[in-house]
Amino acid sequence: MSVKAFELVPAVERELLMGDKARINIECLECCGKHLYVGTNDCFIHHFLLDEVTTSKGRLTYSAQKLLHKYLGLKKPVAELRAASALERLIVLCDGIVFLVDMVTLETVPSAAGGGAKIKGVTAFSPTVQIYMVYEDRVQLVKEVTTPEAQPYMILNYSTGAAQDLFPIQQRGRRPIVKRIGREEFLLAAPGGLGMFANAEGVSQRAPVNWSESVIGAAVCFPYVVALDEGFITVHSMLDQQLKQTLSFRDGHILQDFEGKVVLASTKAVYILVPLPLERQIQDLLASHRVEEALTLTEGAQRNIPKDKFQVTDLHKRILQQAGFIQFGQLQFLEAKEHFRKGQLDVRELISLYPLLLPASSSFTRCHPPLHEFADLNHLAQGDQEKVLRCKKFLITYLGEVRSTEVVNGCREDVDTALLKLYAEQDHDSLLDLLASDNACLLADSIPWLEKYHKYFALGLLYNYNGQDSAALQLWIRVVDGDLQDSTRSDLYEYIVDFLSFCSNVDLVWKYADWALRKDPTIGVQIFTKRPTTKDQSGVLNPDDVITYLGKHSQALLLYLEHLVLERRLQKEKFHTHLAVLYLERVLSLLSQSPADEEQVTRGRERLQALLRESSLYRVQFLLGKIETSQELLLERATLHGKLEEHDKALHILVHQLRDFGSAEAYCLWASSSRDSTYRQRLFHLLLGVYLDRNLPATAQSAGGGGGGELEMAAVDLLNRHGEVFDAVRVLSMLPEGWSLQLLRPFLGRAIRASMHACRTSQVALGLARSENLQLLHDRLKERKNPIFVSEKKGCHLCHNTFSEPDVVCMPGGVPVHTHCVAQRIRDSPTKRQLTNSSNHT
Amino acid sequence: MPEGSKMKKPDVKVVILGDMNVGKTSLLHRYTERKFKDTISTVGGAFYLKQWGPYNISIWDTAGREQFHGLGSMYCRGAAAVILTYDVTNWQSLAELEERFLSLTDTANHDCIYAIVGNKADLTDPKAQLPQDSDRVSEDRAECEEETGSQVLSTCPTPPASPASLSGVMVHKQVGHEDAMALYGRILRYKGLEENGSLPAEKMCFETSAKTGYNVDILFETLFDLVLPSILRKRNENQQSPTVDLEDCRGGNNKRGKTACC
Ligand SMILES: Nc1nc2c(ncn2[C@@H]2O[C@H](COP(=O)(O)OP(=O)(O)OP(=O)(O)O)[C@@H](O)[C@H]2O)c(=O)[nH]1
Ligand SMILES: [Mg+2]
Repeated sequence: MSVKAFELVPAVERELLMGDKARINIECLECCGKHLYVGTNDCFIHHFLLDEVTTSKGRLTYSAQKLLHKYLGLKKPVAELRAASALERLIVLCDGIVFLVDMVTLETVPSAAGGGAKIKGVTAFSPTVQIYMVYEDRVQLVKEVTTPEAQPYMILNYSTGAAQDLFPIQQRGRRPIVKRIGREEFLLAAPGGLGMFANAEGVSQRAPVNWSESVIGAAVCFPYVVALDEGFITVHSMLDQQLKQTLSFRDGHILQDFEGKVVLASTKAVYILVPLPLERQIQDLLASHRVEEALTLTEGAQRNIPKDKFQVTDLHKRILQQAGFIQFGQLQFLEAKEHFRKGQLDVRELISLYPLLLPASSSFTRCHPPLHEFADLNHLAQGDQEKVLRCKKFLITYLGEVRSTEVVNGCREDVDTALLKLYAEQDHDSLLDLLASDNACLLADSIPWLEKYHKYFALGLLYNYNGQDSAALQLWIRVVDGDLQDSTRSDLYEYIVDFLSFCSNVDLVWKYADWALRKDPTIGVQIFTKRPTTKDQSGVLNPDDVITYLGKHSQALLLYLEHLVLERRLQKEKFHTHLAVLYLERVLSLLSQSPADEEQVTRGRERLQALLRESSLYRVQFLLGKIETSQELLLERATLHGKLEEHDKALHILVHQLRDFGSAEAYCLWASSSRDSTYRQRLFHLLLGVYLDRNLPATAQSAGGGGGGELEMAAVDLLNRHGEVFDAVRVLSMLPEGWSLQLLRPFLGRAIRASMHACRTSQVALGLARSENLQLLHDRLKERKNPIFVSEKKGCHLCHNTFSEPDVVCMPGGVPVHTHCVAQRIRDSPTKRQLTNSSNHT
Repeated sequence: MPEGSKMKKPDVKVVILGDMNVGKTSLLHRYTERKFKDTISTVGGAFYLKQWGPYNISIWDTAGREQFHGLGSMYCRGAAAVILTYDVTNWQSLAELEERFLSLTDTANHDCIYAIVGNKADLTDPKAQLPQDSDRVSEDRAECEEETGSQVLSTCPTPPASPASLSGVMVHKQVGHEDAMALYGRILRYKGLEENGSLPAEKMCFETSAKTGYNVDILFETLFDLVLPSILRKRNENQQSPTVDLEDCRGGNNKRGKTACC
């Protein structure tokens, strides 16, 4: 509860003042700079020189030297002394007379009588207030204000006479206390043992303090109200109104402040109440963990004490920090954080409490004098692990919050490294976020720590962040290979592959791809296939190099070629041929196994066939050479013949060797897919011819089991299905005599309909052409009526050249144009062309 | 003492009056600290500076004890609002307002606003027993449990000062809302104010509970809003006043005159 705010220091001891004369009492005091005047009941004024002495322990003491004493000759006590230092005069009230003495000689001024003014009924309280002017040599009454008989405290404006009641005086017979404590503000003793404040407007602007009923004297020594009663000096804070200190003081008689110096007197001796430095008081409060009070005092002081006396900002910050640490020690983290923030704490002060968190290279040393009493966290927690943990959790949050603010300017490495260590130790999710984003974690310090907690994946990230990708990869590979344990990522292998696919250091890629491919070629190959292609030159891999590299990883090579050919659609013969060969070899090797895995063979062949059909870049002859050895890949062979436009060979294989009529039909469609209808017709006729060929080797005929009838049925089906492609007239001449009409009915029906359609379309075209012709004739006749002028100066409307010959063509509307221009135009016009074509048919 | 030792000057003053033990201090605590805690009977008075938007409002908590009665008019001097507080379970506390406290308000501003507040409503009115601040409900509950070791609705062994808090049962309500409204009417008459030119009784009579927070924020915030015009007028006057406020001139320690020259 208590604060040591003041110390009572003796100033003038009894011997010095009155020797052994027992009945002499001190009546009044005046202090002016170093000069202390004491008035006694035997009508003496004593003059002392007070020197401040600081002891070796830093305590302030006073030594008094008696200069003079003087008897005033009135045999009455000296009631009041006031210095007018500018005039070098002391104003003395004694025996109801106000007069002056010289401050140095203590001689009455002027020495001639009559300088004093007799005051009627002067007591400290009276219904009248008299105002005197004090001159160097005389005292003169200038004004007298009568106050009402009733006796509350009142504010009286002496120039206007305006009065305002405040409140009743506490007790009859007791001396009221009125202390001017500032401009237009007073401290008054109020009923109920209160020290009340009032300003000139009669308003209280501060809360009262509760001293005692019997206060004799009071003073304000900011931020304290000091009061003297019969046995004690009490000290109340004006900031929170609380009693802060009590000093016992017997026979107290006078308490007065002179220019901020609080002087007290008992009847026999004089003392000075020396305030202890605010900083000391605040430190005392903090030492007893009275954080709130310490802060109130600090803030009060900051508002009110001139800057030169109180190094406001730095001290205030320090106190806030200390307060924060006290609260931290009590695990009041919210409050602590707030004070650390306000006090702009160097975060490292806090980090340094946690053993080993600060990097070894940190230049930090704790501030001196220390901000707290803790050696470290263990000391603070006294072995309570739960406490340690809570403190660590707090630091995690706190560092997380400040690390991106200016609070950590200049110590980002320390903060981030500490945070990394905490995250690692506490197995905190944010470890990876920290490392994956902008950070200042120190590598050297973090390595052993991350290793200790088996955070190898994280360590790899840190290596990566520090440009040491090779170290990162080596570490991760050891984890994947099971040499090191870290379960952070179950998909670390995939992560590495991904990492390599984005790695711009080509050497690293070459170095580690082999490991990845051996582990799993299908995933490993993604190093090459997932590689961004639109990168700057540095990271681009030449496909030829990759293919060479993948030489011993056949599966990966296949996947890579597929990537190049099918996904990236690189139009390079080499890749296409290579891929086709690989496909082929694969199918061949599958086929050579016994028993062959049907399903795999099918899938392999589908891919091969698709490539053979769709690509037109591979070397057909080369593949044909490879495939001819196999009796099984007939469809593929047909396709290859097709690529060479050897359709008869292809169809022969399909019809006679494979007897796969569906494929044969499909072949015709495929082989003519990008060609015109004549080409397609030619192929279909070819196929029909193969079906109907009578000169077949008997073996082939009988091999199908169904004999010639089967091929004939295929021919019928072909005609009925694709009738529109055929030239019906030619077909009819090819068909064997004996075929029934019924059999070919769908074909014939469609053929007749198509022929009718063509006939009618041409007739329509013909009709339209005729009418156009007629129209033109009509126009011509019309134009003939008027002469058409052609001259060398006139231009042709179509080519804008002039005419050099008289032969011209007249366009509708009588416009003359060159004959060759019109011819050209007709050739270009689509309708005309159409017309020309159709008329051919007609 | 240095010139600067004055606090930031408040723009306006609100004074809480009422007999001892009605809960003035508790109301102020509830409003400023959002909790209900143990109090000791106030000595002299205390005040709290509330930042209300751009304004500083000083709220004075006075001592209800007879002994400090003499200080009342001084506290009320220049007040823009007075909160006359009674205890709903104590008829005498309402009577005292009229007999003893009303005259203290003579020194208040002419346009001073009066509110009549019946506190401890939690003792008589079930709806005042629920914690009020929606955003602080859980905290309140925790606090109350801390203080009382029991549920909110069961009564806490609050100091015996309050006659009501002996058991969980409702206490007899000695003062009705209409009694307070009637008093409000008499206050207007005492002040010589027209009833229809003044704020209506329904608006200015509150029943509160410092313990649960019931109506406490509403009370203070209603008053703050109502004194705003008074603040603005005061600021205006200050601007027009020919005297320069020396408080603003730092370092003018020894200037005694009314005019500044620094
Ligand atoms: N049940 C209940 N008790 C209350 C309430 N408000 C205050 N009290 C109790 O009433 C008693 C007095 O409260 P204070 O706030 O100290 O009363 P006061 O008006 O400030 O009294 P003085 O300072 O002496 O004038 C205390 O025991 C409080 O716990 C309330 O709303 N409900
Ligand atoms: Mg109180």
